[in-house]
Amino acid sequence: MNISHKFTCNVVCLAALVFAVVGSVSAQDNSSKSTEKEKELIAVLRSDATAAEKAISCKQLAIHGSSAAVAELAKLLPDEQLSSWSRIAIEAIPGIESDDALRNATKSLEGRLLIGMINSIGVRRDAKSVQLLTTRLQDKDTEVASAAAVALGRIGNDAAKRSLREALAVAPDKVRSAVAEGCVLVAERLHANGKSAEAVALYDEIRKADVPKQRIIEATRGAILARNEKGIPLLMEQFRSPDKKMFQLALGTVREFPGSQVDKALSAELDKATSARAALIIQAMADRADTVDLSVVLKAAQAGPDAVRMSAIDALARVGDESCLASLLAIAIGENMDLAKAARSTLVSIPGEKVDAQFASLLPSANEKSYPLLIEIVGQRQIEATDELITALKNSDKNVRTAALGALGKTVNLKNLSLLISQVIEPKHPEDSAAALQALKVASIRMSDREACATKLANALNRLPAAFKSNLLELLSEVGGDKALATIGKAAKSKDPRLQDTASRLLGKWNSVDAAPVMLDLAKTASEDKFKIRALRGYIGIARKFSMTNQQRAEMCRSALNAARRPNEQKLVLDVLKLHPSTDGLKLAIKTMDNSKLKDEATQATLFIAQKLGRQRGNIAKLLETAGFEKIKLEIVKAQYGFGATQKDVTAVLQKQAGDLPLITLPAAGYNASFGGDPFPGSVKQLKIQYRINGKAGNAVFEEDAIIILPAGR
Amino acid sequence: MSKKAKANQVPRRRFLKNTISATGAALFAPTIIPGSALGLNGAVAPSERIVVGGIGIGNRGTYDLGCFLQQPDVQFVAVCDVKERRRVAVKKIADKKYGNQNCDTYRDFRELLDRDDIDAVLIATGPNWHATAAMTAAKAGKDMYCEKPVTKNISQSLVLSETMRRTGRVFQAGTQRRNLPHFAFACELARTGKLGKLQKVFAHPAGMQAMMSGWLPSEPQPEKEVVDWDMYLGPAAWRPFNKKLLDGFNFEKGGGLVGGGVLEWGSHCVDLCQWAVDDCLPPVEYNAPKDGELVARYENGTELIFREKGWIPLGSCPVRFEGENGWVEAGDSGKLVLSSNALLAGRTVDEIGGYPATYHVRDFLDCVKSRKQPKGNADAACNAHIACHAANIALHLGRQVKYDNKKHEFIDDEQANRLRSEALREPWRL
Repeated sequence: MNISHKFTCNVVCLAALVFAVVGSVSAQDNSSKSTEKEKELIAVLRSDATAAEKAISCKQLAIHGSSAAVAELAKLLPDEQLSSWSRIAIEAIPGIESDDALRNATKSLEGRLLIGMINSIGVRRDAKSVQLLTTRLQDKDTEVASAAAVALGRIGNDAAKRSLREALAVAPDKVRSAVAEGCVLVAERLHANGKSAEAVALYDEIRKADVPKQRIIEATRGAILARNEKGIPLLMEQFRSPDKKMFQLALGTVREFPGSQVDKALSAELDKATSARAALIIQAMADRADTVDLSVVLKAAQAGPDAVRMSAIDALARVGDESCLASLLAIAIGENMDLAKAARSTLVSIPGEKVDAQFASLLPSANEKSYPLLIEIVGQRQIEATDELITALKNSDKNVRTAALGALGKTVNLKNLSLLISQVIEPKHPEDSAAALQALKVASIRMSDREACATKLANALNRLPAAFKSNLLELLSEVGGDKALATIGKAAKSKDPRLQDTASRLLGKWNSVDAAPVMLDLAKTASEDKFKIRALRGYIGIARKFSMTNQQRAEMCRSALNAARRPNEQKLVLDVLKLHPSTDGLKLAIKTMDNSKLKDEATQATLFIAQKLGRQRGNIAKLLETAGFEKIKLEIVKAQYGFGATQKDVTAVLQKQAGDLPLITLPAAGYNASFGGDPFPGSVKQLKIQYRINGKAGNAVFEEDAIIILPAGR
Repeated sequence: MSKKAKANQVPRRRFLKNTISATGAALFAPTIIPGSALGLNGAVAPSERIVVGGIGIGNRGTYDLGCFLQQPDVQFVAVCDVKERRRVAVKKIADKKYGNQNCDTYRDFRELLDRDDIDAVLIATGPNWHATAAMTAAKAGKDMYCEKPVTKNISQSLVLSETMRRTGRVFQAGTQRRNLPHFAFACELARTGKLGKLQKVFAHPAGMQAMMSGWLPSEPQPEKEVVDWDMYLGPAAWRPFNKKLLDGFNFEKGGGLVGGGVLEWGSHCVDLCQWAVDDCLPPVEYNAPKDGELVARYENGTELIFREKGWIPLGSCPVRFEGENGWVEAGDSGKLVLSSNALLAGRTVDEIGGYPATYHVRDFLDCVKSRKQPKGNADAACNAHIACHAANIALHLGRQVKYDNKKHEFIDDEQANRLRSEALREPWRL
């Protein structure tokens, strides 16, 4: 059976093979198929197949192999090229045969190959290998000894633990780090299995050993967590350590530490720490949201070094409650600008419905200094307080009125939207107009019933001063929906050039297909050419970027071509057809070839679309024949690309791209990219092609980056 | 959501406030630590700087590096790459930034990791190396920002999460969309119930294929100094040199399965879907693809749908979240489309803003100092990647697979289970 050849064809020719996904198959159905597959794969390993074929077979045996495959796989373990491929399968195949194979291989291998066996033994956690690995701990190759230590750590049984503990004291410097890593792995497993006392003992041994600092960090973390509450002193010791790494360890570990006792210890530690460290400790405290002592964080926010106060104020945004508001408000209107800014930020963020209620209740009794701030916070937190905010609109202080308008924008409901419309149309204080318009915008785009909102705005349009009408159209475009679209469409056909300009621009960037009919109408009937062009381009843009059926897209393109008066827009339509190749689009492109001014572009689009669709699909060939494009036999005899005497032979590239159409599309954008670089930088180059179409010789020359369509005698 | 989980998120109101004021995008800095506490006020003292090294800085890595170099508290001191051309190019960038010749270069990243002065590393190798390099860095005591896809299989995802916890390191996956305002806003709507009970989350896989890595014909191997082929292969099974394989983007990103768009794009947008479902454990059921959709199901019934078509044109890598009361869709254009403007709570989409990606790097650097978990932490990355790998396995096997999140195994499915991990080439281990 020539399995080797079969696999050469199917599996190894290229770097990657896409496995076809065929139908739906159950896991059970696959087991019998796997057995058959395994036999084929084993046969490849037994044959004189190439290394590449054997490698891929190993990979497939990782899925389909059983203990029956292990013997053949094991033969590849000493092979420097195929050893790792073999281990991919052996590591995955369950059963003692795989373990035996790896163990046996360690007897004869050395160096990296031996390390590979040991690593796989570790992954498989083969308990029978403990003695073997223990011996290897003393291997003169320190990399081998290190691999053995980590493998023992992964196995992690009592015997492995014993071996690692013994080695921790006596292993050479270069191996000791790996031994400690193994010990940490064992200790982690012990702790996870409820054997915390044993874990603590092992962690402590590592901490006392002469091992790299990172191993000490790992062991210290484990020693703290495994001790549970008794680990708090050790944790606090790290907070006080002059060593930055150990302090960082404490910051990380305290976030993992269970229970509430540690929060008390943290609070005590805060007073002893430098301000830079205290600021970081506060952040860690706040990340323990279930058990954090809020009073400690609040106290730190109220007084002390600025760095610590800043951190505490920030932390209150996550863990604070209504009890913190008075203090934060005082800071927020205080003289320290940095702290005030942080406090304002926290007041907006601090969670809780009770917090909202308290803010609302504070509003009527606010003093001059806190009033604008409270109004702003009410707005940002979107607290319902419309009556209070309307009262604030009558305030003589412009800052208060501006804040109130901002807050109303964020909180007012649809029913009260007219409040803001009135503020725009007839402001009691003319200087409030801009703020009122901004508030109306914020409120309008927030409304869930956008049609109702747009109706209110549209009704207001005629009552608005001329200066604001464009603004309202902008606002309507943000709201979106049918009413907004109709209103803007109407404005685009008004007699006011400013409104026409604004409305046509807004339609041009409308983000839904609903705008298409409005834009097409405008493209035909607008009063000025510039608005017609703008509308048409927007219409073409919709055809280009939105999802729709091929028929709908072709129909839009047909309408656009009919409406277009300039080649620029007509070419844009052809680009759309090329971007979304379809039979409907092809028909339109062919029809457009009758337009003498567009003939070249339409021909190119026709060939391009046909090539994308493929002749074999549907009636493409027939359509092309109707258009005068017979299927041709194209041969590229010679092709050169360059300038003057500097010419590059690009025959092979074009031969590869040539099909049965006179169009040749290149593999990359541009000639230089397709032909392996620029042969003569700084000059416009030419592509010269000698070809035969249906046996008839011809020559053609193309300027750099021109579309390559060979004269096919149409 | 537990209080602890809440504490690890940007508070909603803070988020809203920040997005409200995000017309100046810098105002959306996700930082929760005051700058003064982090040494960011004015000039940064050397003792407060984070000393960074780069591992495998190619196209994407150079973009990341630019984000790092913008930060006043970063000192980039060394680069490692198996390709000489890239070593030289990155050194040039760093030296130009600092006006000196001090950026050291290495071919073997273990030498870079041996340096005690380096606090953190930027890992932007090809996906073949990400997990192995990240775990080696963690064991060497470095914090890391690691590009995506982070892992090659389910096993690596689990070990990554466990290793970061055990070593106490700060890990940030390069899932920068977690710190882009418009994506974060969309996820926030889903997480906080603004869309009602979440029913479906959609991710764009950009090509649903599950491929196996292979072996190209041998070509003359460059000098080791020019391209260290052995180090380039690293944990991937041996194969002869072929320059086409030097494109890390297409080389060995999914272990047993190279993983097409489901992993490559999924590590971007499935990660966001995972965030939208509050970073819960990955789906428990994955169906074979049908009509351009692969439907997975979370334990609570919410569906994660890998969907090729039907997206609103909002740029690459789109996501869509559908709840009982509304939906939101967002893409790389920085824009959002929502079922109702009311969900914007008074802002415009432009005000929410979409960029820059620097926020994600800043989040990482702040967490290096505070030791808080960054947004793209190892647990989050682990769950998102498991979802991608499991979907890839369903795709590859062409049938439904069911995953047990407690046992970390597929239920009664040996074939699927064997695809959970893959042996690393010697001498590499996790």
